[in-house]
Amino acid sequence: MSRLATWLILAATLTFLIGPFLIVIFAGLSAGEALAFPPQGLSLKWYAKVFTVESFRASFALSMFLAVFGTLAALLIGIPAAYALNRYDLPGAETIRTIVAAPIIVPGIIVGLALLRYFVVPLNVTITLALFVTHTALVLPYAVRVVSSSLNNLRADMEEAAVILGCTRLQAFTKVVLPNIRGGILAAFILGFVASFNEVPASLFLSGPGVRTLPIDMLSYMEITFDPSVAALSALLAFMSVAIVFLAERLLGFSRYV
Amino acid sequence: MFLNRSEGLALALPAALFTFLVFLVPVGILLSVAFQNEDGALSLRGYLDFFAQPLNRAVFLRTLKLGVLVALTSAVIGYLAAFCIVNLPPASRGRIFGLVVLPLMISPVARTYAWIVILGRTGIVNDVVVGLGLSDTPLRLLFTETAVFIGLLQLFLPLMIISLVSSMENIPKDVVPAARVLGASWLQVFVRIILPLTKEGLVIGGTLVFTGALTAYITPAILGGSKVLMLETLLYQKVNVSNDFVSASVIAMILIVMCFSANLALKRVASVRR
Repeated sequence: MSRLATWLILAATLTFLIGPFLIVIFAGLSAGEALAFPPQGLSLKWYAKVFTVESFRASFALSMFLAVFGTLAALLIGIPAAYALNRYDLPGAETIRTIVAAPIIVPGIIVGLALLRYFVVPLNVTITLALFVTHTALVLPYAVRVVSSSLNNLRADMEEAAVILGCTRLQAFTKVVLPNIRGGILAAFILGFVASFNEVPASLFLSGPGVRTLPIDMLSYMEITFDPSVAALSALLAFMSVAIVFLAERLLGFSRYV
Repeated sequence: MFLNRSEGLALALPAALFTFLVFLVPVGILLSVAFQNEDGALSLRGYLDFFAQPLNRAVFLRTLKLGVLVALTSAVIGYLAAFCIVNLPPASRGRIFGLVVLPLMISPVARTYAWIVILGRTGIVNDVVVGLGLSDTPLRLLFTETAVFIGLLQLFLPLMIISLVSSMENIPKDVVPAARVLGASWLQVFVRIILPLTKEGLVIGGTLVFTGALTAYITPAILGGSKVLMLETLLYQKVNVSNDFVSASVIAMILIVMCFSANLALKRVASVRR
């Protein structure tokens, strides 16, 4: 294929994939009251307004909490599971793998409804706890998979050597295994964080008075108000995700793990 | 490999138990609702009632249609784009590939919102159409199947391109030029060389895009609204508007069956090659 055709195809594809997003960034820069492109005059007022909307602040805090602690919880149970699946000849290993991977295959909206009706209501659990549990379960498959793949690259003899040289099994794990899979764990954390922060379908039914994740809050805000603040907020969030991933890539070659 | 099995089980059990109890059990109960009648006896009433309504049938068919269309279109664009990317010099290849992956990091809400700015009543497209005098009044572009299709395509196209690029990278460099020198047309090159060698990537990408499109909520909610319902938005309506949990459970089962069969098909086709 000629060079011209190659670049035309790539330019068209990338315009379709990224162009709309650039438009959102500019729409958020509008000085006018209504959402429009090109914006009616330029100003940063909508970018500033985002920080003053009370519900955005509350839902941002909740989303941050879920993304950080949900992912940490998933790692806390996911790392031992990945380790066991890699290093032991487990009876029913395939079943365990299937169970842990299930949250990826089941559509999110079903998860949310199921947890609302058969977890929150009968057990009288708070919405926040239900969201926390859901996000942990949704992130767990990523945690197990990414940590597994970095355990795969670490030879088991190193640990055996450490044990022979007098380490306890726990010491062998903390002194030999953990430092070597640190990159994988960090990659799993970032992947989980982004997935949890952007999650919508499963959290849809799990919202109560004043308890909403940020993407859901944005959805309901734009049903009522048609001003450029959602555009500004979208742009800010995108910068945040892209910056996190970019830094991770620079610092530890993130893409090796995904 | 360590031999102490009970130690290994103890390590794996928290994750498995957690997912089983807070995830699989509630989902299982939800799915079983559709198989019971009012007295709790086994019955297919829920399914028959669901499919008896023309609206539900239309939504089911539309979801299937959009899923297939989005998967096919992304395969066509994906092959073109992946072929171009693979043939780039290594330095720009990484950069372009990064730009393809970039949208996946961005919140789907933000990505879908962009289409409101573009397709809305006062959006870019309508500015141009009215400005050029092609139409006196703004066209209704939002809340149409086309809008949902465009939104889904943009959301899931990167997954297809990534799958195709990674399987195309394994094709030896000189195979395509060799076929061309020997007189094959581009169509023959594609059908007889590229397609068989990238089948696995196509199937993986296709499944990701298809199941993604079936289970997307945000795109049909924002760009389709209640005019262009898909199964996910219909499920939301059944629960929040009409309190109809049996239908919700039926829809859940349909979605899960469609996703699982797509995944199974993927595994079969992918394993045939080995």
